[in-house]
Amino acid sequence: MAAAAAGSLRRAGWRLWRGRAVVRCQLSPPQRPLQASAVLRGVSDEQKEPLASSSQQQFSSHPTNHQPEQEPQGPRPSYTGQGGQESEDYESEEQLQHRILTAALEFVPEHGWTAEAIAEGAKTLGLSVAAAGMFHSDGSELILHFVSQCNTKLSELLEQEQKLVQLGEAEKKPTDQFLRDAVEARLRMLIPYIEKWPQALSILLLPHNIPSSLNLLTSMIDDVWHYAGDQSTDFNWYTRRAVLTGIYNTTELVMMQDSSPDFEETWRFLENRVADAMNMGNTANQVQSTGEALVQGLMGAAVTIRNLAGLNQRR
Amino acid sequence: PAGGVSLRLCSTRATLEGINHPLIDRIIRVDHAGEYGANRIYAGQMAVLGRSSVGPIIQQMWNQEKDHLKKFNELMVAYRVRPTVLLPFWNVAGFVLGAGSALLGKKGAMACTVAVEESISDHYNSQIRTLMEEDPEKYKELLQVFK
Repeated sequence: MAAAAAGSLRRAGWRLWRGRAVVRCQLSPPQRPLQASAVLRGVSDEQKEPLASSSQQQFSSHPTNHQPEQEPQGPRPSYTGQGGQESEDYESEEQLQHRILTAALEFVPEHGWTAEAIAEGAKTLGLSVAAAGMFHSDGSELILHFVSQCNTKLSELLEQEQKLVQLGEAEKKPTDQFLRDAVEARLRMLIPYIEKWPQALSILLLPHNIPSSLNLLTSMIDDVWHYAGDQSTDFNWYTRRAVLTGIYNTTELVMMQDSSPDFEETWRFLENRVADAMNMGNTANQVQSTGEALVQGLMGAAVTIRNLAGLNQRR
Repeated sequence: PAGGVSLRLCSTRATLEGINHPLIDRIIRVDHAGEYGANRIYAGQMAVLGRSSVGPIIQQMWNQEKDHLKKFNELMVAYRVRPTVLLPFWNVAGFVLGAGSALLGKKGAMACTVAVEESISDHYNSQIRTLMEEDPEKYKELLQVFK
């Protein structure tokens, strides 16, 4: 009798909850993906539990009425609003995506930059493999996430070095050495994934990825020049960044083909390119001063000829 | 099904707290280009009228502009703003405008100067208004420079 009453109350609560959930869905679309991830999480679990627990994060007052009848084994509702429940992190969708992609990086050497790697990563976090459906099927987001992570690491490294120099604990490096070290540090981050990196490069060149990958590349190069102490405010700003981008890209390509121990050939290539770039600056100055000297010479010759021909006479 | 949700990929540039970077970028870039152009206009005018009686006046105004340009160069480095791609164009265009207006005589040169200054001050005023609308506190330093 009591069991039947409890059962009917449970069913009534279930129906009421479902009705509420529909209204909630319409009112707050951003909650939907998190609900979806909660659903994915609970695929292997009992059906009602994840749906009920996701409802708890949406409205705290509601479960107090239905909680005891509906889900005796469900987690307690939290009134702090930030979700102190252990079974479900109240994080933004973006943070969740970042966590999945970071976990997926571990599986890249094995599966490549694919949805399989993302699925494996999701599994290690305790999510269902369907979570990989949140991302594009070509692994673009995984690669972009990795590149963004590497750039952040490089920035932090350069920031540390700058602090050491400011504190006087380290010598300020000459520009060519600085650029060499920065590019080498950044390229070394690719070493664990070097087998699959050519695949990643080709994916980054896909039209729908080009804006993001270009953005990441330019901001990384800008960072390197900033920490190298570049303060140009004229067209040099562009030439320097273009030159360094060229150096970085060509060195990256050389690295793909390099099979020498610890990529010695690549670093030697890098050193030569940076030296070339430095020379280019000097050569440009030389050309300019030669040009100026030439013009002066020509003007002098013209005046001399005019004098000789008597055209300079003032009557 | 592919969710198609795009991740926000942050640029690694260190963000100064709370400052609206795109807005500040545009403002500083435009103002820097303007000051650079003004410099070139005065250079053009000096090239033609340098030895005339208004030469010293133009030279004085040019020096003021050089100061402004220096200030904007510093701001550009501080906020890590990129200079405009069109700098070589403004280089030539400014010089031509200055020289051209100077060839029209002293009145022409002065008229050009007055017109340029007027439009610059209108421009700065609207920028000040934009910054004040956003948040006067955050942009106090910039506002000081503009005034």
